[in-house]
Amino acid sequence: MERVLLRNTESPHSADIHEYIKGGGYISLHKAFEMKPFDVIDEVRRSGLRGRGGAGFPTGMKWSFAVADPQTPKYLICNADEGEPGTFKDRGILEKNPHLLIEGMVISAYAIEAAWGYIYLRGEYPRAKDVLLSAIKQAYEKNYLGDNILGKGVGFHLHVHCGAGAYICGEETALIESLEGKRGQPRIKPPFPVNEGFSLKPTIINNVETLANIPCIIEIGGDAYSKIGSPECPGPKLYSVSGHVKRPGVYELPMGVTLREIIYTHCGGILGDKKLKAVIPGGISTPVLTPDKIDCPMDFRNLPRVGSLLGSGAVIAFDETVDMVNVCLRITKFFEHESCGKCTPCREGVGWMRAIIERICGGAGRNGDLDHLMEVSSNILGKTFCPLGDSAATVVQSYLGNFRHEFEEKIKNR
Amino acid sequence: MITITINEKKITLEKPVTILEAARSAGIHIPTLCHEDILEPYGGCRLCLVEVEKVPRLLSACTQYITEGMVVRTETERVIEARRAILEFLLINHPLDCSFCDKAGECDLQDLAMKYGPATGRFAEGKRKHPESYDDPLIVRNMERCVLCSKCVRMCEDVQGASALCITNRGSKSYVEPFSGGRYNCEYCGNCLTVCPVGAIMSGLHRHDYRSWLIEREVETVCSYCGVGCSLLLQIRGNSLIRTVPKIGRGLNRGLLCSKGRFGYDYISNSERLDTPLIRRNGELQPAAWSEAITHIARRLKEIKENHGSDAIAGIVSGRCTNEDAYVFQKFFRGAIGTNNIDSVASLAYGPAQRFFERIFGQGVTANDIHGISNSDGIFVIGGDPTGINPVLGLQVRSACKKGAPVVVMGYAEGLKRFSKHAFITNSTTETVLLASLVSEIKKKKSLPGERPVFEEIISGLQPVPLKDASEMSGFGLNDLVDTVDTLSNMINPSIIVGRDIVQTSTGHMSLLFLAALAYLLNGRIYLLSELPNEQGLLDMGCQPDMLPSGRPLTIETFRTRCEETLGIAIPSTPGLNYVEMIEAAHAGRIKALYVMGEDTVQGLPDRNYVSDALRNVEFLVVQDMFLTETAQYADVVLPSLSWAEKEGSYTNLERRVQLTKKAVEGEGIEEWKIISEMSKILGLDMGYRSVTDIFTEIVRISHIYREITYNDITSGRCMWPYKGGPLRHDVHIEGIELPDIVSVMKNADESGVQVRREAHLFHSQNASRYSPALQSISPEPYVKMSETLAGRLSLRDGEHVKVVTEAGSITLSVHRDPCLPENVVLIPPFEKGGIFEITKWKVNPVTKAPALDGNRVIIET
Repeated sequence: MERVLLRNTESPHSADIHEYIKGGGYISLHKAFEMKPFDVIDEVRRSGLRGRGGAGFPTGMKWSFAVADPQTPKYLICNADEGEPGTFKDRGILEKNPHLLIEGMVISAYAIEAAWGYIYLRGEYPRAKDVLLSAIKQAYEKNYLGDNILGKGVGFHLHVHCGAGAYICGEETALIESLEGKRGQPRIKPPFPVNEGFSLKPTIINNVETLANIPCIIEIGGDAYSKIGSPECPGPKLYSVSGHVKRPGVYELPMGVTLREIIYTHCGGILGDKKLKAVIPGGISTPVLTPDKIDCPMDFRNLPRVGSLLGSGAVIAFDETVDMVNVCLRITKFFEHESCGKCTPCREGVGWMRAIIERICGGAGRNGDLDHLMEVSSNILGKTFCPLGDSAATVVQSYLGNFRHEFEEKIKNR
Repeated sequence: MITITINEKKITLEKPVTILEAARSAGIHIPTLCHEDILEPYGGCRLCLVEVEKVPRLLSACTQYITEGMVVRTETERVIEARRAILEFLLINHPLDCSFCDKAGECDLQDLAMKYGPATGRFAEGKRKHPESYDDPLIVRNMERCVLCSKCVRMCEDVQGASALCITNRGSKSYVEPFSGGRYNCEYCGNCLTVCPVGAIMSGLHRHDYRSWLIEREVETVCSYCGVGCSLLLQIRGNSLIRTVPKIGRGLNRGLLCSKGRFGYDYISNSERLDTPLIRRNGELQPAAWSEAITHIARRLKEIKENHGSDAIAGIVSGRCTNEDAYVFQKFFRGAIGTNNIDSVASLAYGPAQRFFERIFGQGVTANDIHGISNSDGIFVIGGDPTGINPVLGLQVRSACKKGAPVVVMGYAEGLKRFSKHAFITNSTTETVLLASLVSEIKKKKSLPGERPVFEEIISGLQPVPLKDASEMSGFGLNDLVDTVDTLSNMINPSIIVGRDIVQTSTGHMSLLFLAALAYLLNGRIYLLSELPNEQGLLDMGCQPDMLPSGRPLTIETFRTRCEETLGIAIPSTPGLNYVEMIEAAHAGRIKALYVMGEDTVQGLPDRNYVSDALRNVEFLVVQDMFLTETAQYADVVLPSLSWAEKEGSYTNLERRVQLTKKAVEGEGIEEWKIISEMSKILGLDMGYRSVTDIFTEIVRISHIYREITYNDITSGRCMWPYKGGPLRHDVHIEGIELPDIVSVMKNADESGVQVRREAHLFHSQNASRYSPALQSISPEPYVKMSETLAGRLSLRDGEHVKVVTEAGSITLSVHRDPCLPENVVLIPPFEKGGIFEITKWKVNPVTKAPALDGNRVIIET
């Protein structure tokens, strides 16, 4: 498949606007400006594009909600707070192909009639910040951003805001709170950001990768786009692969490629040709899978059928030597550290789970610990304010479910 | 109409509300920890999770709005299971130290754990540790008990607007902390204490010295501190007042309090309180029996009346006195002594301002509901900081600001710094000139409505002051002034909030006229700030030298005779002296006997030396007070008085709302009205009261304003002007108002040098606060606030001590630098020692007869 999201990124100057334009960049913007905003949305709707941040919400539908809200002004926010461990796909776009994102954002802003946009950038991406800032400067110089873009009377201004290291700020409402200068904690939904987002105005928040798909949709048309990859959730997809594979990295492959193909064909198989023990398909907040599930196509529809989620498409492979209890502990520690503390079950429960697992790992496990752990996780599940606590609970349950014998062994051999 | 089913019960509601509200309306209780009606829904504690049909997840009732046909179940097995799980989570890191936690017995977490919680704990890992913080003099923080409901933070931020608290850290390491780290350094409203559901934020005043279940009685009454009249709950055990607490949603304050109401009640149990009358014998005040003291006073007053005439006797009432006490006091002076020399602290600022506005706009013009402020689209504040003087009223200003109303402040308002769009810290002359200039500019933009032709004539006749001239003279930027004119002109229903500083200057009468013109042009509602709980009541009770009860001039014969006939007394037909005139007359030796009820005159008037001399000059001085104040030290007889919690009566607040104050504890002493009527009897006028109700009945009979009101009416706290709708005095006396010669004011203004102005301090009012150890502990040291430039020029750092010298005297104070102040103004609060009145000279406004604090040029000596 021809690369769309990482087109021309082999060039060392791929982030430069001239290079981007040379490779056909900003043509979609010209094309979009010839269309009516409504038609742009319609094209995106027909493309079947679903949000790449993890939830997979149909992008065109989201846009039309914001447009239907009579309040003005409207805001466009790019969620570049790529904090999910194992995920580094957006970074590829941000550092190597920033103009694709900018072009996507200008088109999106034109479609939803937003005059202001923000890129909420992960604080630990200093390089991406530099690249983005100079790309934005170039875009202003070339009049792709500004008060009167391409002389068409369309105005759009873009700012970069750096996060301060909180995972929760990747959650869209916490992101808005943080962008407004407040403590990053999720808001009550509804109202959803499409109606009351930034400054309580209609706001579209899309992931970097989602917005980077927009120029392609405009270029080839929604119908053509919808034929790429899985029929239900089409399009190209970036997979960031890490762990025990021979060639880790970001891979642009169509939606619906199988885990086996990613690991064995594209990444060259497991390091040292060892046996695959487990794989996380979509970042650490998605349940772990055992090797018998790796023929499952990677998309929003098929992964839930085998008990996991596509998430951000961050594949982490573990070989046969890995201690899965330790993996579970590491992940739970992460969730404990990143829980914002707003709601009781997540704040108190995740730490409790961590404490039990840590004890088991430290050789002080007791009989009944695993049932207890299961109960604590069930007590969190479905009661939290936002999905963070739920993820922590389901993930622990998936490790307990798939590798219970490893936990039991640790307790027995303390 | 929306119909839903909760626990198989059909409920129909008019508008979409949350499931929690819907359930409550049907009498179904859903437990919560993070919900508070006056705060926005939060959804954090997750205790209110309920089951909704067709929704797989449990939903939080406090955030979820109802929809047509929704079927909710609040007590299913699954819901109860969830609550148990949440409570278990809340308890795992909780120290479970109920045995010595002050909150025990009234702790939401304890109650919920009793009802829904697990019987045993399963948590076998180490608990989180966080040492208790005693860094603050008043507020103790125990973060091990905190459930992170964040109500305190939201209260502080969203309602109080103080933004002093925050949640620090993240996740299970989160805790609540003041921004300043250890000490709160905040406004000490204590509203965070009110909402804390557990023992995490506690009052340090009664730490470990009570248990909530030992409180025997609760008395709901009205606060004794300022003119707002907040509703309070006094909690009593035996005969001691354990603490005062508000009740969310109750009273005009709706459960909010300020530092004084929340912490300042401890003056009642101050050991320095007088418990026996004192009579001066051989130059020393010595204890005496009540009967002896009363007879002594009566005999001396009689002698002086016989020797020097009735008008050689005068009486002053404090704004802390109840309507009943004040009424009896003026009746005693008029009926038993035979003089109109009766006045009160209200005449120092509140009275003259109200009298002026009523003269133009009619009686009751300042009787406005304070909640109207938060609904106005603009606020103009002048002459005082509402958040310091009347803090709960000040919250209304902040609330309006949060809703988008621009706030324009003239004068110094510490508590509105972050809320004002335009702020001008003026000295007294520039204040008048700026007002004149604003009026002349706004006059050009707004047409006169034609409602009050006589007043409009006056407005038209006002000398124009171009903004440019005002800007040059005051030093405020022209653009700022132009913007301010625009801001003000765009207001449609503004609130105009007036403090005493505008009145207490030698051009105060002019400022009042310009302010009236401004209010008229902008169609503004006027609010008068009042530092004492019953200033309005004193005016209504006739504690004025020229007015009978309900503001009727005694020089009008029909009013006088009607009053005389009803009461069966003779009232002298000539007006008496007002407060400052009495002091002047005493100074000149014309007043032989002075009876001061509850007021510390020396501490309340400019020029302490002058006032002390005046009091020394009085042949016979009676002071009735709770403490041996500086004024009392000059007295010939001192009578102890009861505190507000020890007697019954009524207060009329600055909105003219009449409220009942209730007796909560027994005090050592006799009610004021009883003392006065005893004396009156000896002097030949038997008033015949058996209780305060008798007095109130008489007030209601004599006052056309208060007619037909009963104690029952005022208990509700909703007894608002014009009460029972009686005929009001709408006659307006505009004639005789002199057009101010503002041009010559500008010409003759002495703008050189640094002038001192009074800062209305949040923790130091001029009354009971100075006897409250709690309030004193917050900010004990007297200070002078000065601009950065002035301090810089004198190389002064914060906290350094300087000598502040004026013509009238000098005091040593610590320096507070304030970047907002202009160079030519320094501010000094009315501290008891080191307060502004020690260095201001005696000066009186010729028209309003209010003391004038302007024109005191200071030199700072390092």
